[in-house]
Amino acid sequence: MCEEHRLDGQARPMLREAVVTSNEAVSADVWLVTLESPEVASTVAPGQFVHLKIATGRDFILRRPFSVYSADAERIEILYQLVGRGTHELSLAEPGDRMDLIGPLGTGWEIPEAPVRALLVAGGLGVAPLRMLAEALTRAGSTVALAYGAPTAERLTGVEIFSAAGCQVMSCTDDGSAGTHGLVTLASGDLLGTGEVDIVYTCGPEVMQRAVAAQARDAGVRCQVSLERLMACGIGACLSCIVPTTAGQRRACVDGPVFNAEDVIWGDS
Amino acid sequence: MHRVDMSVAIGDLVLANPVLTASGTFGSGKEYADLIDLTRLGAIVTKGVSTSPWSGNPSPRMAETASGMLNSIGLQNPGVERFIADDLAWHRRSFPQVPLVVNVNGHTIDEYISVVRRLDEEEGISAYEVNISCPNVDAGGMAFGTTCEAASEVTRAVRAATARTIIVKLSPNVTDVAAIARSVEAEGADAVSLINTLLGMAIDTRTFRPKLARVVGGLSGPAIKPIALRMVWQVSSAVGIPVIGMGGIASATDAAEFMLAGATAVAVGTANFVDPRTAVHIVDGLEDFCASRGIGRVSDLTGGLITPDAAANRDREEGSR
Ligand SMILES: Cc1cc2nc3c(=O)[nH]c(=O)nc-3n(C[C@H](O)[C@H](O)[C@H](O)COP(=O)(O)O)c2cc1C
Ligand code: FES
Repeated sequence: MCEEHRLDGQARPMLREAVVTSNEAVSADVWLVTLESPEVASTVAPGQFVHLKIATGRDFILRRPFSVYSADAERIEILYQLVGRGTHELSLAEPGDRMDLIGPLGTGWEIPEAPVRALLVAGGLGVAPLRMLAEALTRAGSTVALAYGAPTAERLTGVEIFSAAGCQVMSCTDDGSAGTHGLVTLASGDLLGTGEVDIVYTCGPEVMQRAVAAQARDAGVRCQVSLERLMACGIGACLSCIVPTTAGQRRACVDGPVFNAEDVIWGDS
Repeated sequence: MHRVDMSVAIGDLVLANPVLTASGTFGSGKEYADLIDLTRLGAIVTKGVSTSPWSGNPSPRMAETASGMLNSIGLQNPGVERFIADDLAWHRRSFPQVPLVVNVNGHTIDEYISVVRRLDEEEGISAYEVNISCPNVDAGGMAFGTTCEAASEVTRAVRAATARTIIVKLSPNVTDVAAIARSVEAEGADAVSLINTLLGMAIDTRTFRPKLARVVGGLSGPAIKPIALRMVWQVSSAVGIPVIGMGGIASATDAAEFMLAGATAVAVGTANFVDPRTAVHIVDGLEDFCASRGIGRVSDLTGGLITPDAAANRDREEGSR
């Protein structure tokens, strides 16, 4: 159940001032920012997030939660799409700027100790929390397949990183400009059909995650999802980010963002 | 610099400093304990507690707006028994020295009373903050805090049920907040706190849908500060009991404004989300504010506002000497 699923040994959240070391566009509206924050970088687990205070001025702006895309001993990388005021403001940050962050936050992916055959299913920037997961699984001796859907070839952000890391990658695009022409669930359905998948992890639009969760359930395979919610506090105090589950209302920022798909009570979205 | 006496009194309750957390934005403190030193706070005000569990509203429950945010959490809470077993137990174990004020909610007068009666059996609670912005199911869902009669009735019932300090938390969604404040003072409230959130809404023009699933919700943050300040000033002029001011407070100067308008203490809500250190920064900043002006007691700020009329009067007096 969700309640027990909070992983032991996860680092307590810290409030730190990170230094921007780079901030660049990787495609038309997707950016990658690198933040130096050794304590957070060295303790963040795959699937966790940080809560960033973006505004440097006096204007009121709530923090924004971002999945950690990659981390080494010193730095974390965050992949973000320019969608609104917060991400626009973030794109203006320059190397050397200081930025307040709270992290590592939330409950990340469950990573089996014994080698497994894992299927990762990403929709668009839902790929972000899957990169650290792929790395951790590979380190544990697991094999990783990635089914990755995006509107266009250009939006298959970071796809080459997964290939280079030895993952089997199946791309799907809405316009057919790369990989299979169509939805990512075609690829995930095919892979689950082979019977060679032990566990599914997915992140992306909620309709897609819900469809993937249904495919996994029908195939009798465990599935974890990473759900996005609007967050105010990010630390479990305000109850803005509720996910209805079979174990009651859970907070995406503490009990999630990763949930066991079978526990989630899906809404209308 | 002078040492400043930062203590303030709310009824019988003496606080080490005038900075509280606003209900619903701070849990019971546990979530913030990794990030700030809770012992620096004047008091912790808990999220709303009701007699049985309340599941709250559907998502989305939050939307950012210009200089503020809307929420429709719907007072989700696990009920008074779970509150005692989890939050209160944690507080007694970890931070018994920090005064705890429990925010009390009900859909009926009986529900308010049963929460207070149950909590009265427990140690470690310094005061109750009675949230009268809850919908009154016996009055078609209209909030208790919107009429003098219903506000009086809740206060009278809670007053009869407990000897602990009662702070009645006023709704700003009324035409005459001072009249409501006078009513609850007359029924024995030890203090009033204000303002709760202002009713508002926001629409997503890409989808033509409301940004909150419940369509309307409570506006908080810097956007509401001028309204909150005005209401604190009106209420503190109308009642003799202490006033706890809140609404958009994010800095020590904001807090000083509320105290000058008549507040004895202040609470920090939405600003905790942007920076969990805000309340602690305000404690330090208020002390500096007083010290740099030779003010020996923070309580001397309360009601220190010089209005044009008062200034004119003083000038007149001084000129005639
Ligand atoms: C997410 C959220 C939850 C709240 N929950 C409660 C509550 O349970 N009881 C209550 O009396 N007020 C509640 N409030 C109102 C605040 O305590 C406060 O009165 C209001 O937000 C104005 O202060 P601020 O602008 O500093 O946030 C809540 C406010 C927010 C933003
Ligand atoms: S964002 Fe506040 S509880 Fe999750």
